[in-house]
Formats: sequence, C-alpha cells, structure tokens
Amino acid sequence: MDSSITLGGSPGADLTKLSDREKQELQQFVVNESQKARIQQSIHSLTDICFRKCITAKMSSGKLDRTEEPCMQNCVDRFMDANMTVLRQLEQMRTQM
Amino acid sequence: MSFAPSSSDPKTEIMNQIRQEAAVANARQLVEKLNEHCFERCVPKPGASLSSGETTCYTTCMEKYMAAWNTVSRQYVARIQRESAAAPRY
Repeated sequence: MDSSITLGGSPGADLTKLSDREKQELQQFVVNESQKARIQQSIHSLTDICFRKCITAKMSSGKLDRTEEPCMQNCVDRFMDANMTVLRQLEQMRTQM
Repeated sequence: MSFAPSSSDPKTEIMNQIRQEAAVANARQLVEKLNEHCFERCVPKPGASLSSGETTCYTTCMEKYMAAWNTVSRQYVARIQRESAAAPRY
C-alpha cells in the first residue's frame, strides 16, 4: 500500500485544527486500518499460494467445485499450522542457545 | 474522488481518504494477482490478439479467483478470530 497519505487539494484537512481527542481517535483509526491492511495482504498472499495448489484442473466453471473449496480451506489452515511450527521450532532453538 | 461532503470536519475527511486509499490498494493488488494467474492459465502462447477462447477462459478464471479469495478471506479471518480469542494476542 502507498505509505504516503496525500492531502493535496483538501485545505479543510488541517491537522493542526484537531483537538487532542480527535487526534487520538485518528491515531486509533490508523492503527486499526493498518491491521486491516496487513490482514488483507495475508489474504492476497494465501490466495496466491493456495490457488496455485488447489485450482489445477481445467476451469469449466467460475465457482469453486466440490474438491476445490475444501482444498482452499485446508490450504489456509495447514499454511498457518506450518507457520506456527516454524515459530515454535525457532523458539526452541532460541532457548537451547 | 472523495465521497464525503467537503464541508465535513478534517478528522472525517482524513479517515475517508485513508479508507479510500486502502480500498484502492486492495483492489489493485487483487487485479494484479488475478491477472498474473489467469494470464498464465488462459494465455499459454500469446498470439496476435486475445482469442475468444482466451477471453472466455479469462471470464471463468476471474470469477474463480475471486471465489477463491472470498473462501480464503472467510477461513483466515475465522482462524485468527479463534486464535485471538484463545490467546490475548496474535
């Protein structure tokens, strides 16, 4: 995502005019939006990985068929399991050092 | 571009702009990935123009990729919600 927030052409958006409470609300809003963006980024990356693995047959319908749907679901869950395994393994290595 | 009335307060204006930019970035990412996959699948040997077969394939592929995206989204969000309910943070 584009990291810069351009406020060009909107003279009303003057940060100095905000009250402390508004500034805090805005800060919280940015934190929440960043988290949402991170989650969406993960969804894009998981879809990319799992589409490659699960949608291998000739595409005859726009819907996911009986095998594709569970494959995509399993793919998401197993990817996350695998990710947890890596983290646990690394944690173990750290404590053994 | 902006969907809020311009007379709204600066905070709302900034929030709307952030929402808008996030939505654009999300859509752009989807289009990029979708085209990457569908081009690979539907246009193995690029000819002088897109054939009608390739175009039909693209329509199906786009629909399928978006269905896959929605499935992943549901599954992933359900999982992180489950895990954040079990542990205080994920």
